[in-house]
Amino acid sequence: MNIEHIQQQVLNANQLQIIGNNSQLRTASTTTLDMSVYSGVIGYHPEELVMTVKAGTRITEIESILAHKGQVLPFSVQDNPNASIGGAYSVGSPELRDAVLGVRIIDGQGQILNFGGQVMKNVAGYDVSRLLVGSEGKYAVICEISFRVLPQAYAKTYQAAKAANSSPKSELKVRIEKGLKDVLDPKGIFV
Amino acid sequence: MSITQVLSKALPKHLVIHGDEMTRPFECDGLSMYRQKPLAVVLPENIDQIKQVIQLCKEHLTPIVTRGAGTGLAGGALPLENSVVLGLSKLNKVKSIDPIAQTAVVEPGVRNIAISEAVSQYGLYYAPDPSSQIACTIGGNVAENSGGVHCLKYGLTVHNIVSIKILTIDGEELILSRDDDGLGLLALMNGSEGLLGIITEITVKLLAKPKVSRLIMAGFEQVRDCANAISNIIEAGIIPAGLEMMDKFAIKAAEDFAKAGYPRDVQALLLCELDGDDNIVEQELDAVKKLLSDASTIKVAHSEQERLSLWQGRKSAFPAVGRLSPDYYCMDGTIPRRYLADVLEKINHLSQHYKLRVANVFHAGDGNLHPLILYDANIEGEIEKTEAFGTEILKLCVDVGGSITGEHGVGIEKLNAMCHQFTPAEIEVFHQIKAVFDSEELLNPGKAIPTLHRCAELGAMHVHNGELPHPELERF
Repeated sequence: MNIEHIQQQVLNANQLQIIGNNSQLRTASTTTLDMSVYSGVIGYHPEELVMTVKAGTRITEIESILAHKGQVLPFSVQDNPNASIGGAYSVGSPELRDAVLGVRIIDGQGQILNFGGQVMKNVAGYDVSRLLVGSEGKYAVICEISFRVLPQAYAKTYQAAKAANSSPKSELKVRIEKGLKDVLDPKGIFV
Repeated sequence: MSITQVLSKALPKHLVIHGDEMTRPFECDGLSMYRQKPLAVVLPENIDQIKQVIQLCKEHLTPIVTRGAGTGLAGGALPLENSVVLGLSKLNKVKSIDPIAQTAVVEPGVRNIAISEAVSQYGLYYAPDPSSQIACTIGGNVAENSGGVHCLKYGLTVHNIVSIKILTIDGEELILSRDDDGLGLLALMNGSEGLLGIITEITVKLLAKPKVSRLIMAGFEQVRDCANAISNIIEAGIIPAGLEMMDKFAIKAAEDFAKAGYPRDVQALLLCELDGDDNIVEQELDAVKKLLSDASTIKVAHSEQERLSLWQGRKSAFPAVGRLSPDYYCMDGTIPRRYLADVLEKINHLSQHYKLRVANVFHAGDGNLHPLILYDANIEGEIEKTEAFGTEILKLCVDVGGSITGEHGVGIEKLNAMCHQFTPAEIEVFHQIKAVFDSEELLNPGKAIPTLHRCAELGAMHVHNGELPHPELERF
């Protein structure tokens, strides 16, 4: 499985539901894009505190690789051994968003796009890689994610994934999110 | 009626500045090689006046360039010929401080350091510390996602903002918080360079002041040994509060200027600051000393005075270099740190090629380079040569997987370099994001994101898999 295969599935689809390793949502009538097969570490540089992985990589696998170098994720994710980094990204949490450095995505028109990078400081272009944390698979296929890691000694207790913030969104915010959906997925493929 | 007349009529007279002489102080920001006077400058004193300016400018289709203190280094606050500058420096109140939650609510024109001063009585401070912190405003910091010397440990502006209020070009108020469900709109606003909305209020995160700070200085015979030492420190599980590196030219300039006590005979100098609780800092200090075994000189500051004096050299590196040349041009690329020695070597080759001197100061911990190219604007063609050299440095950064700007922003300055870092499709996404917020292109238009036309003309493009850039554009 490579990124061009995913791209082809997006190009062929009318509607696509992206699922990670752990999806409990599945609509029978919709074609699914199974990201669990797109997994593995692309780059890990402990001395840079940076890791890049494919979105289907399990959190447990990432944590065990980090542990060998005395490092940890600077965010917490739901306590499920199957959870993938892509799933955690799409659900989102403030700390996970803080840790993200860059993404490679496929938009609704099948374009492979890179935003952010593998460096701590990067203010070129809008911060799309942090914008899409919490996008629930509805804006683009998140294929690869670069994020910051921490030495064990600096780990804190983090808010569990998904803050229970149920206050209704303002009408303006709904309009902006709809506008951004149209930018990345104008045909409404991702459901 | 012209927009200047309309604004003068609608707002108290002293808030609207116009005319050649009066608008001159606003003709540039920290990047003074670009200058342009606006139609008018408005300095509102409250949110309602900002709303009026937005409404009137929108009615007259007049672009708005929002400005904080004008200390930006990329021309982000450079006025446009047909624009109004909206200066928010009068909105300079700290509205409230919550020492328990460790947050403060501030107006956009509050200076960065004024926040730390205001909360100091509670043993707290605001962490991001761009070098302009005595002057730059927090609104500008959010707009640029500013950095500083402590980012590796304490993060950028985006990591230290709890929520913001913005006004859209339609005059609607949008409140964005860290804890919001859904998309990261607050993160999107950080670093959006005044193109998406006007920031009217900011809630910042405050940190407890560290109990102790210890500084260790090390000099190296080889640049590569210094770069390796930095990697070794971080790989050993230590995150220094500050980790700064200077090359030989910068060391000499800083020492001549500040008499900080730097060794003059080394190729690279490292300043490593550790902060936190006493016992942890002492442990880390011991560990770092061992990891600096390749250094030719090591010095630990034993008093607060000595610590500040060693920092003074680094902090005055820019003016120190400024003394050696009529003009200098500061770059802001970032790279994965493992390429530091290679990139520095290539910069030195380029320096010889262009026959322009360059001093290198780095926020080495986070791979942020600030090469300072020395030039003389009075020598014909030297600005162009300097810009060409700068562009090559930024390409070098992108080619090793880094970025054209770590903390200064794109503004007007790095539009061409953006074409090198992003594909046309990615740049198009940026334009469409702008259109979601500002379809009439009235907020700081033309900054931060280059037109595809510009990139195509430039030719020096991103070539992906050997494909011709911009196949969609006709070529003649």
